Amino acid sequence: RQPGMAEAEAAGDAALGPAPAQEGAELAAVIGATVPTGFEQTAAEEVQEKLGSASRISRDRGKIYFEVPARSLPQVHRLRSVDNLFVVVQEFKDYQFKENKEDALKDLEDLVKKLPWTDPLKVWELNNSLKKKKTKRRKHNLQSPASREKLNDGREEGGADQNNSNDQEDCAQNPVAVEPTGGQDTEKPQGVTSRNGVEEEEDNEQSDVKVEVHASSESGTKAGDSQTGEGEAKVLRFRVTCNRAGDKHSFTSNEAARDFGGAVQEHFQWKADMTNFDVEVLLNIHNNEVVVGIALTEESLHRRNITHFGPTTLRSTLAYGMLRLCDPQPTDIIVDPMCGTGAIPIEGAAEWPYCYHIAGDNSPQAVKRAANNICSLLRRNESKDSSTALGVPLDIIQWDICNLPLRTGSVDIVVTDMPFGKRIGSKKKNWDLYPACLMEMGRICTPGTGRAVLLTQDKKCFAKALSRVGHIWRRAQTVWVNVGGLHAAVYLLRRTWERAEERRSFW
Amino acid sequence: KLGHPSELPPEPVPNYEEDEEFLRRVHHVLLEVEVLEGALQCPDSGRRFPISKGVPNMLLTEDEA
Repeated sequence: RQPGMAEAEAAGDAALGPAPAQEGAELAAVIGATVPTGFEQTAAEEVQEKLGSASRISRDRGKIYFEVPARSLPQVHRLRSVDNLFVVVQEFKDYQFKENKEDALKDLEDLVKKLPWTDPLKVWELNNSLKKKKTKRRKHNLQSPASREKLNDGREEGGADQNNSNDQEDCAQNPVAVEPTGGQDTEKPQGVTSRNGVEEEEDNEQSDVKVEVHASSESGTKAGDSQTGEGEAKVLRFRVTCNRAGDKHSFTSNEAARDFGGAVQEHFQWKADMTNFDVEVLLNIHNNEVVVGIALTEESLHRRNITHFGPTTLRSTLAYGMLRLCDPQPTDIIVDPMCGTGAIPIEGAAEWPYCYHIAGDNSPQAVKRAANNICSLLRRNESKDSSTALGVPLDIIQWDICNLPLRTGSVDIVVTDMPFGKRIGSKKKNWDLYPACLMEMGRICTPGTGRAVLLTQDKKCFAKALSRVGHIWRRAQTVWVNVGGLHAAVYLLRRTWERAEERRSFW
Repeated sequence: KLGHPSELPPEPVPNYEEDEEFLRRVHHVLLEVEVLEGALQCPDSGRRFPISKGVPNMLLTEDEA
């Protein structure tokens, strides 16, 4: 706190009694953050480490809540384990819904005028001013809307198999509600949100995610574009997004969003607008837990490092969670031997720059995409004075996972996204591949101190393969996650002290 | 060998951890120079692995594997 501010506040206190909260100084916010399901604890640790706040992990999986002073918002946006952020208006731990649909909806409508909107709206305003600064800086940034359009095109050329949550989540910014498709090999539709809200489909739960009004199919315009800078004078535009999960509600999320939205419009005299909204009001209902919030992010942060997508590109937030799990220490050598487009090593090099990251893949397309992503990272690091970028401790090599050109016991951490039979390769191939991978990863990894963090959807195959290499790897922790609608697992393995036999191999 | 005299001795000198000049040169070669086109050569077998656009190709041929 600046001395100047303290004086001003003291003066205020002396003259008029309690001084009104100075914007950014005393204003506090309860922040809700959506994180990859399964990594709530990891995210909470990051929040504790970087913001000094303790988090509450919600029963509605994939969400954590923490309180920070509003002036910490910039640091909040820099969290790497978080997909989306919102400011909490109010939380109800045990909301009693009336059984009758009309009554239940009327209650929600009546709720609007009773909610403490003032401070959260101040936080939203503060957040907007941060975003405006970011938007200006981003004009040359590769994550601008223009290049994202390009990326969408790039992804679609792959054909039917490219059905993945990346598409759904990007579509999430487009207010058109995505109807459940239930096709083969498709992920459970995320609806309009890019949040994890609807992923856990328990047997007796119904969940649906809809937005207030089905919009036209016009896409591409983002709220950021519509902000002209005279936000204060003009009438605000808003929309309501409702996530509802639970089997005892008498209404749908669509109905709740519609009625709640109606009441919001009445109360604030805002204008409802599906595509060009300033304020996105969130109504999250998970059984009896109700959270009303205001969105602070419009595009999901999880794509931040990747500009060249492949068919199975991992979310950066998931990559971060996996890396954190293996607790990288300065000077650790971290290898991703099946790196694909490089999501994990790139996240690694960005967040753990005192480690050395080596990425490799056998596919020339993957290697090319990863190299391009690294170049994008380098370009972003370019200083204005010279055209040379600060180096990044990351290298990429084309190699064969079963014949790695790395010395025995020379690697501290192996972290990778193992091929899922459904998107790349096949289940049959995995039966042979997995044991061979585990053996080779065991060879390069330092006995005793080494560890591996492996993501796979083929849990059965993995368990079997692991049982065959018990003398080299032992399972330390398992995190159940959701990747593009597929139930997957992240395994933390520790390298035993047993030395691998020297390979007779080529190397 | 980087196509120009690299000023590095063929072997690390004894006590190299204290030799700042040596460390600077190694740091430069390892972390500040990017080979875009060239090759890596195995010191034992002599087999060369091409580097193209900054990426070495270390896939083995059918016979080698």
